Amino acid sequence: MSFIKRYLIPRLIQYVIVTFLGLTAIFIFPRLLPVDPVKQQLTQYQTFGVYVSPEQQEEIIKTLKQLYGLEGTLWDQYIMFWKRFFSGNFGPSLSRFPTPVNQLIAMALPWTLGLLSVTTFLSWIIAVIAGGIVGYFRKKWMEAIDILIMIIRPIPYYITALIFLILFSYIFPIFPLGGGIGVGRTLSFNLQTILNIIKHATLPALTLLVVGIAWQFQSMKLIVQSIQTEDHVIYAKTAGVDEKNIVFSHIIKNAMLPMITQLGLQFGGIFSGALITEMVFTYPGIGQILYDAIMRADYNLIMGIMCISVVAVTTSVLFLDLIYPFFDPRVRYR
Amino acid sequence: MKKVNTVKSLIYDLFKDYRFVIAFLIICIFILLVILSFFSPYNPQRMYQVPSGLPPSFKYPLGTNWLGQDVFWQLTFAIKNSLIIALVTAFFSRIIAVIVGILAGYKGGTTDRVITTIGDTTMVLPFLIILIAISMILKDWTNNFFNLGILLAFFSWAWDARVIRSQVLSLREREFIKVAVLSGMPTIRIVRKQLLPHVLPIVFTTFINNMSWAIGMEITLAYLGLGIDPTVPTIGTMLQTAIYRQALFMGLWWWLLTPIVTAILLFVALYWISVSLSEYLDPRARFQRIGFGK
Amino acid sequence: MQPLKKVLLILAILLVLFSLTGITAQVLPQGIPRDKTLILPFLFAPLPVPGNWNLWAGWRAQNCGLHQFVTEPLWTLNPDVVKGGIINALASEGPIYNKDFTRLVIKLRKGIYWSDGVEFTADDVVFTIQTVKNTEGLDYHGAMQDVKKVYAPDKYTVVIDLNKPNARFHTFFLERWGALRPMPKHIFSKVKDILTYDFNPPVSLGPYVYVSHDPAGYWVLWKKRTDWQRTVTGQLFGEPKPEYVLFINYGPPEKQNMAMLRHELDAIQGTAEQMLTMLKMSNTTRSYRDTWPYIDPRDISTRGPAFNHLVFPYNNKDVRWALALSIDIVELAISTYNGMVAMTPGLPLVVGKNFYDWYFKPLEPWLKNLTLDIGGGEKFKPWDPDAPWRLLDWAKKNYKVDIDPKNKEEVQLTLGYGWWKYAPDVAEKLLVKNGFKKIGGKWYLPDGKPWKITILRGPDPTDMANIVILGVAEQWKKFGIDVVFNVSAAAATLALNGQFEVLNTGHGGFAGEPWGLHPDLYLCFNAMNSKFVRPIGEPTLGWACRWSDPRMDKIISELEKTRWSDLTAIKKLGLEGLKIQIEEMVAIPCFNCPIAIVFDEYYWINWPSPKNDYARSDNFTTWPQLKYILHQIKPTGRK
Repeated sequence: MSFIKRYLIPRLIQYVIVTFLGLTAIFIFPRLLPVDPVKQQLTQYQTFGVYVSPEQQEEIIKTLKQLYGLEGTLWDQYIMFWKRFFSGNFGPSLSRFPTPVNQLIAMALPWTLGLLSVTTFLSWIIAVIAGGIVGYFRKKWMEAIDILIMIIRPIPYYITALIFLILFSYIFPIFPLGGGIGVGRTLSFNLQTILNIIKHATLPALTLLVVGIAWQFQSMKLIVQSIQTEDHVIYAKTAGVDEKNIVFSHIIKNAMLPMITQLGLQFGGIFSGALITEMVFTYPGIGQILYDAIMRADYNLIMGIMCISVVAVTTSVLFLDLIYPFFDPRVRYR
Repeated sequence: MKKVNTVKSLIYDLFKDYRFVIAFLIICIFILLVILSFFSPYNPQRMYQVPSGLPPSFKYPLGTNWLGQDVFWQLTFAIKNSLIIALVTAFFSRIIAVIVGILAGYKGGTTDRVITTIGDTTMVLPFLIILIAISMILKDWTNNFFNLGILLAFFSWAWDARVIRSQVLSLREREFIKVAVLSGMPTIRIVRKQLLPHVLPIVFTTFINNMSWAIGMEITLAYLGLGIDPTVPTIGTMLQTAIYRQALFMGLWWWLLTPIVTAILLFVALYWISVSLSEYLDPRARFQRIGFGK
Repeated sequence: MQPLKKVLLILAILLVLFSLTGITAQVLPQGIPRDKTLILPFLFAPLPVPGNWNLWAGWRAQNCGLHQFVTEPLWTLNPDVVKGGIINALASEGPIYNKDFTRLVIKLRKGIYWSDGVEFTADDVVFTIQTVKNTEGLDYHGAMQDVKKVYAPDKYTVVIDLNKPNARFHTFFLERWGALRPMPKHIFSKVKDILTYDFNPPVSLGPYVYVSHDPAGYWVLWKKRTDWQRTVTGQLFGEPKPEYVLFINYGPPEKQNMAMLRHELDAIQGTAEQMLTMLKMSNTTRSYRDTWPYIDPRDISTRGPAFNHLVFPYNNKDVRWALALSIDIVELAISTYNGMVAMTPGLPLVVGKNFYDWYFKPLEPWLKNLTLDIGGGEKFKPWDPDAPWRLLDWAKKNYKVDIDPKNKEEVQLTLGYGWWKYAPDVAEKLLVKNGFKKIGGKWYLPDGKPWKITILRGPDPTDMANIVILGVAEQWKKFGIDVVFNVSAAAATLALNGQFEVLNTGHGGFAGEPWGLHPDLYLCFNAMNSKFVRPIGEPTLGWACRWSDPRMDKIISELEKTRWSDLTAIKKLGLEGLKIQIEEMVAIPCFNCPIAIVFDEYYWINWPSPKNDYARSDNFTTWPQLKYILHQIKPTGRK
């Protein structure tokens, strides 16, 4: 009971406050952009040859403002924002008027979630295991892996993606150049389509895996190295406990804890997509949509996506903080 | 006298680690290049100064790019500028992280909660997007390296502040602190004399990691065409220009490889320095290195 | 390690499964033959709302095939820029106005059917105009408010009564890149809310119908109509050759290159470097020309820096001339595009056969005599007719070139009309005359502060305007002026508001985008109408650069009263307007927008070339006139 009072409730309050602050920041943020969605739409008309006679331009600005819901004071819009948030409806997208933001998000999010959740978890697992092993045993060939990973890590992601692309789509044309599914095919639930989706997602997934593993491997290795010298490990070794046992149940299990927090933060980040991946592989994820939305100051779309992202991150961090005590007895007794 | 001896033995011990030696060498080369940038015969922002598209030769050690610029001299400026950004970022974010971390860890209670909440909020927002947006909002404010550095610092103090905070939390319970408090030492002195020495190692290693991160961020922002004026050479803008001007397909591999190899060397050097230094400062890890552990 | 073995096993199984979905990573699915499919690049991807084809309600990335195949306009520009002129598409003849331009009569072509079998009649046009007039939020809604009454006296005639005289009302229906095109009445009249209607699947008036699209919006597939004879294309030109057309966006230029090298893309329009790379890396690729300069220079749009005329010192004509004279146009061409561009001195004076005959030839003697007063009683004639030949000389030293220097027209139509002399000393005199000082190689404003030019541009480094402006900045720096860039994603908004000193390009707001195949320059001049100029901070209704001149206003109002078919009067007024623009140096147009096009001849041949000049090359990439040239290309027969 006291656990709930001393830990749970303050933590929940913090969760609500952080989420609230985050969402308010999200409301303010698009309005700070120098791009004005109404004027952006006007220039788009101009760029693509739709003749907007100057006499009618003022009319159009007024109409657009009305349609976009940008009338009224900032406070009115803020209240409407919260109303919409709780009803789960983010309104119409401004740059792709009148499509509802929810529809656009529903279109792109599953691709992002599919790709990124798999790669995040997979890279985390591989990194934890590999990092643990390399951190503990210090054989020569493991040092070589360490150096390899260290060289891969700073290569800008775009270059890594490009290298994979050239290798596996051009020199050895195994994988398609990009897209979510192939041309001329429609989304349906048969084996062919699913295999197709996997085929198209493999290259982006591979690049994300490689980069993700590189980053997390090093964190894990460092943590393991510091744990290695802790008393309980040395004691277990002296006591003659089997090596494999030490690595897994002592070292890796303890090292997992800070890694789990990292995982939580990363998982929340999934909802903002992997922008450069999507740009290189023309993968239909939510990162590209968010980037476009910012470029066109599409307030509603920006707010919609970022709300989901913020809520996802704060919730996953909360979730992890809550199950943390079950892993780490030291915290339990605080 | 004592301090000089400790410094001498510190350097001597560090050089025993091959990683430190290599990293140190790389950094020295880079510093040399930075100094060279002040003697560059070309203004880095001008173009079409030399014949374009030439491979590396004696006259142009790293070749020339399609815009008629000497890649070698561009590189000297690029390293200088990227390092400036990295240093500014790391410096400011450390200061914030230390102040915030110690405050939160030592005071505890509501102060702690408020501070961690603010920190969590900055971690929660998808910051690549925010960086993109802010560089749009503030347009040429971010052209100044100093400002870009501060902006990046704003987003990177939170995680390390947490680490410092937990360190301070555990230290707070230790005897020597309790003794200091009981003996009436003023808080500031406690912080300075007792807490800081333990916190500094973390600060130092995370300083270097932060620099790496800042350079990575600068490269990403430059790739998207935001942040720095693209005609100003940094590792990121050199890479971006090379990519957009099709360096690879045009066969100008030296133009593309230079920033990549530089970035790799820089990261490796920074990483190895931070690792070897942190191992040195943490006595337990030092034993490991010598081979006391397995 | 047990887990490792398991992982390897899974990977092996997956690899086997992949091979079941097709051994090579071909882009087309089974059942669609590659040798009968034309794959074109989908610029401006992705579709903003995949599955929504209702382009009357807003931007739909219509160059995905939507405005090429689904819609058909009343009139359109001839893709054959040598023959030139306007094609009567759905209309059977030109617009018929009454004497005071308050009534427009349109006669329609007979025998045109929508792809679902319903005949196209005047009812469709009447319905479209009425709906657009009455529905807020549809494109051209504002323009249609001028319509008093629209009706169809018979099945193939439309009569429009206007509220006020407008000699150019029909240009709303004249397709350049956009236009108001007829909606299918039999479908849209049953829809409750046209703004949100998605028109899925779309019903075509053009020769191809929709097959499928990418749910993420990066490709769209089209199939030839079996009744293609009942379209404008079929009636005027014959059967289009490809059975299928695929518009696909592969992403960054490296991927486009790889796609073409794998023969999964038949045309690319990109940067000069991309073009050179592709020509080098494959033996089946070619551009418009076989030799330097390779490109097709005839886009109907110009590029070059523009000034904010409400900001000192750019409101001073001498300063503008000085900045122009400090640019070496040949060096600029070489450094930005390897010389592969056509130069032009006039903002709407595009490089092409039509404008060459209508405007440049009569302008040339005036240009040769144009004189500047550079102070101290000195005069200077800035026109340099030899600039294209200097460019040609440079090219001959570095490339194989097959342009005959004695053929004046060929040189001028390929490399440009000529430009201003490179005269930095004259530029100095002009500046000194106005109080500027040059100290230590750097220029200072009359008030003593160092002269720093800030140029506003967008972030895309492959945008032609941005490439040119980088080169221009170099020239000005060489001259001794400090130049910095304001790179902003909000450049368009800032330009509209006039929050800039120098803009990367002056072609915005139609100022530099004429019809090209009809001499009317009304749209280009009207952008500079003085009644549209707004102070800095407010969005302008016309040209972002906020220049105006009462002489231009007079020309504009006279043009308004001129009949569309009265080419003589239109050309006379156009010439006068051009002279004013050039003399005042309202902007510094440098080049025509070059079309760096690459065609792959692996599956299709007979692409346009100077000897087979049936179309301007970019009609194959984004322009709606694609449907009128698809009868020209031939399949090679390779499988």
